[in-house]
Amino acid sequence: MKKILFWVIAMLFIISPVGILVLQSFTSPGSWTEFSLYGWRGLFETTRLLEATGTSLTIGFFVTVINIAVGMSAGKALALYTFHGKTAVDTLFVMPLLVPILAITFGVHIAMIRIGLADTGLGVILIHLVPTVPYSIRIFRNGYVSLGRRMQEQAETLGASAGRTFFDIELPLLKPSVQSVIFLTFVISLSQYVITSIIGGGTVVTLAMVYFPFLDSADTTLIAAFSIWFAVLPLLFYITAGAVFRLLPYRRKSGRRELF
Amino acid sequence: MRIGIIAIMIILSGCSGVTDTEEKGSTIANRNFEEIKDAAEGTEVRLFMWGGDDGINTYIDEWVAPRLQEKFGISLTRTPMATEDILQKLRTEREAGKKEGTVDLLWLNGENFRNAKNNELLYGAFTEKLPNFNEYYDRDEYSHDFGTATEGMEAPWGRVQFALQYDSAKVDEPPRTYKELSEWVKENPGEFTYPHPSEFTGNAFLRQMMLSGTENPEALAEDSFSPNAAETAADGMWKKLREWEPALYRKGEYYPASLSELDRLYSEGKVSMTLGYNEARSEHLINDGVFPESTDTYVMDSGSLGNTHFLSIPYNSTNVPGAVTAINFLLSPEAQLQKMKPSSWGDNTTIDTDKLPEETKQRFEELDRGETVPGAEKLEETYLPELDTEYVEWITETWEDEVVR
Repeated sequence: MKKILFWVIAMLFIISPVGILVLQSFTSPGSWTEFSLYGWRGLFETTRLLEATGTSLTIGFFVTVINIAVGMSAGKALALYTFHGKTAVDTLFVMPLLVPILAITFGVHIAMIRIGLADTGLGVILIHLVPTVPYSIRIFRNGYVSLGRRMQEQAETLGASAGRTFFDIELPLLKPSVQSVIFLTFVISLSQYVITSIIGGGTVVTLAMVYFPFLDSADTTLIAAFSIWFAVLPLLFYITAGAVFRLLPYRRKSGRRELF
Repeated sequence: MRIGIIAIMIILSGCSGVTDTEEKGSTIANRNFEEIKDAAEGTEVRLFMWGGDDGINTYIDEWVAPRLQEKFGISLTRTPMATEDILQKLRTEREAGKKEGTVDLLWLNGENFRNAKNNELLYGAFTEKLPNFNEYYDRDEYSHDFGTATEGMEAPWGRVQFALQYDSAKVDEPPRTYKELSEWVKENPGEFTYPHPSEFTGNAFLRQMMLSGTENPEALAEDSFSPNAAETAADGMWKKLREWEPALYRKGEYYPASLSELDRLYSEGKVSMTLGYNEARSEHLINDGVFPESTDTYVMDSGSLGNTHFLSIPYNSTNVPGAVTAINFLLSPEAQLQKMKPSSWGDNTTIDTDKLPEETKQRFEELDRGETVPGAEKLEETYLPELDTEYVEWITETWEDEVVR
């Protein structure tokens, strides 16, 4: 029964919408049956498509790496340590999600122009941290709360260094949190249009800058092809990141074997 | 590791550095066009413009850019960005005192031009430097842009007129006036709707309707906005719109939020008519298979709203000579003729063809803009000038009160 329900829901909300999108991208506009490669040809004829995809991937990569670093340290502190003003800090960390991002961006833009960060990739990376870091902190905080302190204490009493504890215990056990952060951060970074165009000033052309204007047209086939391209990127990024992640414990394995 | 990241970031930020054109001299004052053209050689011109149309993008990237490179040694970089966002960027840069901008050329008109001019975001007068403008264009025709004096700060690039598209397989004889349209809407319930007036095209549709209902549209267009004049002019229109409502698509409970929504309804056959501020737009939409083959375009006998779109230079462009040279080329008969072709952009020319040499004039006259595009004479005959931009807001607000309530 549960299985049937699962498939019904999956069919209704995941498989059929994606299926329709794929179908739409391979048929001519306004038709469901007439096969046509027009949408995909149009997509790859779009100027700067690959360049913009590369820019998006690079920016997304750095945004993700910074998010993991910041999110992990802040999340750990909030979950495991007690200190003065913890509640205040906790609230402060969510603030960027409560204040409209455009208001932040306009203010930050002036500052960025003055210090020369406007119209640069670095500026765009920094502004992308605003809508992503609060989520990462939350995710890692929850991860550390469920992990607790005991595991680390055990390693500590056995004489493991902080780095060793991190790589052998925290990182593998926090894998689900890391994966969520990677996926969420990359998707958010990829889909930022307005803040990218303001801070990047058109000099930093990401995929969103090329793709979003096309949503203004009635050409559903081209839009479908574009949307699939747009959706495949985070998936690819996620898979690649997963493969990199897998390398970590293996490298340690040889060291462990020596112990026995 | 950390040093590595920082290094990569520095490289990233370095990629987008400002091109160095200072030594070439970025001013055009006291220079004639020959000198400007020489100064422009070997420079980069960064054109920022809305990028949501394949035909337009291709015209710029594949026709204009290679020719600019070949003829003037200018490399043209097109960046897609909405005009409002470009102006927002310039406004902030002005506030922050940034003198070296990243935009050399932009595409705008109407309200955007007024904002840019009032906020001093533009370089200043330059059209008198353009040989092509001086020779082939009727200066007086472009002295105003939606009621704002242009003062040579923008150069006319193209013009469009408001037109309606209908499916000739379903509609035998399209309504030619608003009176006929009223009857048609009531006789064909559910077959017609128009975009919400807060949207560009929907608002233009109502402005055209309002102008068609007045005795003297030219006079209304020349005066600046006055609530009294607006009320008198729009009175009949609100009455008609209220009468239409029950016969509109989904009984007027829903108005398409954008033109693309209306176009989708049309391409799926749910409504029989769509509209747009571009008399040639059905050509490539039919070609791409978005609109049915049986689509035809016409301008209403009661008048068709027309406007001109312009090219201008931001105040902090670092390559004004390059921008001026590029604009002069974009205004040339050659570039304008290519732009008019339905296989390219399909946009109408701003050139006064009477000023062209006989042979070139003939090429303009012989150009087939496509079967669905109304002829030049028809366009001229029905042309209605645009209104003061304040009407846009007034119509949006009043429509809520008068029609939706």
